[in-house]
Amino acid sequence: MIVGKQKPIAEIKEIISPYKKVLVLGCGTCVKTCFAGGEDEVATLSSALRLSCKKEGKDIYIEELTVERQCEDEFIREAAIAISKNSAVLSLACGAGVQAIARRFGDVPVLPGVNTTFIGVLEKQGLFTEECLGCGDCKLAAFGGICPVTRCAKKLQNGPCGGSQNGICEVNPDTECAWQQIITRLGNLGQLDNLKKYNPPKDWRPSHAGGPRKLVREDHFI
Amino acid sequence: MKKKLKPKITVFHCINAINNCESLPIPYKDTFKLKSVKMACSSMVKDAFLLRAFEAGSDAVIVFVCPEGQCRYVEGNIRAKNRVNWVKNLLDEIEIGGRRLSIHNIANGDTEAAVRIIRQVLADINELGPNPARH
Repeated sequence: MIVGKQKPIAEIKEIISPYKKVLVLGCGTCVKTCFAGGEDEVATLSSALRLSCKKEGKDIYIEELTVERQCEDEFIREAAIAISKNSAVLSLACGAGVQAIARRFGDVPVLPGVNTTFIGVLEKQGLFTEECLGCGDCKLAAFGGICPVTRCAKKLQNGPCGGSQNGICEVNPDTECAWQQIITRLGNLGQLDNLKKYNPPKDWRPSHAGGPRKLVREDHFI
Repeated sequence: MKKKLKPKITVFHCINAINNCESLPIPYKDTFKLKSVKMACSSMVKDAFLLRAFEAGSDAVIVFVCPEGQCRYVEGNIRAKNRVNWVKNLLDEIEIGGRRLSIHNIANGDTEAAVRIIRQVLADINELGPNPARH
């Protein structure tokens, strides 16, 4: 899932300051799971903004709505009436959701309330870790299902750098060495021979380095 | 002359800690307003509910939970504590004041402790002044 973090209240207040009627629009998919922009977060943020503005004597109307997904037009349409009643939308979706709303409603300012952070997993309750860089050329089969592109600070493709100590990365002591994990996992799978294979330098063209990407499935065109 | 507002307190309480807050023997009851919100477990308290109590004009919000290790639903009081701490930081961030929100462990039916805490919170409101978002 896409993991995001809500922006500080002060930044959000600054962003919405030119507007008197704001729709706080949540997204019920990825950002809900990471507690950044689901229905609960929409209610909490809206309440905090109302309290803060009231304290400062500012007159503002804040409406709340959460749609199932902000990155799909079918769900965005449900927000059309609420959007038409407000002068701006504060979207608590990821960057894709914010842009999808902006594309659909051309004459309404759409403002981001969340910093989109990474593609990751829920490692345990309250802890999200980055697991995928979206490089466009997945080689997880060679690495026992552990991605060195994302999880190795140096993105090494052919074995560890030698700098880790006790399984901990030398770049960041909060991070486990991805190559230590890859070797342990390949050992458990009986696939240590994978380490003898040479992995050529990574082709970054399918990644974002090649500009914005598109996925075309002609069989789904109508 | 501007009429002095009566302090308003909202108490969210687990029914296993205190069953009925409105019947607590608090002295000078007519000098303040007390709104009680009963919950089957303190874990039902959400960030937005606490903030909405302030939106509704509360000067302080109290959450009564069971003592640690005695929650009927195992960890409800721990969850409530984490949420209250989160909202306290949020209240500080928006300059309403995290001190206006507090959480207390109360043994089942310990009304004396509940009364003592409410009186202390009333004294704190006296010092802090009314909720700055209450107009």
